[in-house]
Amino acid sequence: MDELILNLKREIIEVLNLEEVKPEEIEDDAPLFGEGLGLDSIDALELIVLMEKNYGIKLSDPAQGRELFKSIRVMATYIRDNRKK
Amino acid sequence: MGLVIRKYSYINDRVASVDGRAIPVPAGEEKFLTALYRARRVDYPRFFKMDALSKLGFLASELIFEGDASRFTPRDHVAILCFNRSSSLESDAAYQATIRHGEEYFPSPSLFVYTLPNIVTAEIAIRNRLHGETAFYVLERFDPRALVGRVGEAFQDAATRAVLVAWVESFRDSREVFMMLVEKNDTIFDLPFSVESIVELLNRGRNG
Repeated sequence: MDELILNLKREIIEVLNLEEVKPEEIEDDAPLFGEGLGLDSIDALELIVLMEKNYGIKLSDPAQGRELFKSIRVMATYIRDNRKK
Repeated sequence: MGLVIRKYSYINDRVASVDGRAIPVPAGEEKFLTALYRARRVDYPRFFKMDALSKLGFLASELIFEGDASRFTPRDHVAILCFNRSSSLESDAAYQATIRHGEEYFPSPSLFVYTLPNIVTAEIAIRNRLHGETAFYVLERFDPRALVGRVGEAFQDAATRAVLVAWVESFRDSREVFMMLVEKNDTIFDLPFSVESIVELLNRGRNG
């Protein structure tokens, strides 16, 4: 799980161009949107693409993202339980 | 009352200047635009999400407005007019690459956002809270007469008291932005906004 969390942080930094952020600076349980990393709606769509492209998880309902993208740990847990890649 | 160039900036892949004065940018492993962003100590993380076209326009406007105490006060009277030759073709191609193959069909939302050239005007307007007219024109080639003509038309609107006008091009190896803040003025000490001034200042920027 720790490895998955670290990989996920690296992937998010790359795909969202968070050039000023290092993986260790992202707290596992910190909110990704609003406070925390301060991501926006386009970032949310990009995370949905990341889930499908890297882990074969297709979110048919974008509203699912609201729950899934609460934190890195929530994302990683969902990926661990549902990944197809 | 004529139009004058109040301030101007120039950036390409290797040099940057404001009002003809070179901006020192430390050489390093980072791309020039990123190095310039850091050199000016800009704090705007959204910069890293922009495509090259928007980065050019954004940084040129930073050089124009930095140090202006009222820059973040919402202003209705400042218009933004940008021109180029290649539209957003660079981002169009990058986005198209994400949808080219059936098995690797992952359209990128963040690339799609920049598949319109006028996004650069929006980035500048949002950053500086400029609520005046914005427009982006694609020309066959750099044409200072088109800039002068369109800016003159913008001033026909009584609400417009200043125009941020730029030639901003980013395609393959051709990256540059030349931006001017144009205002109405009647003193003889200011630089007139004219075809001759545009050509002279652009060449000065290109020559570093």
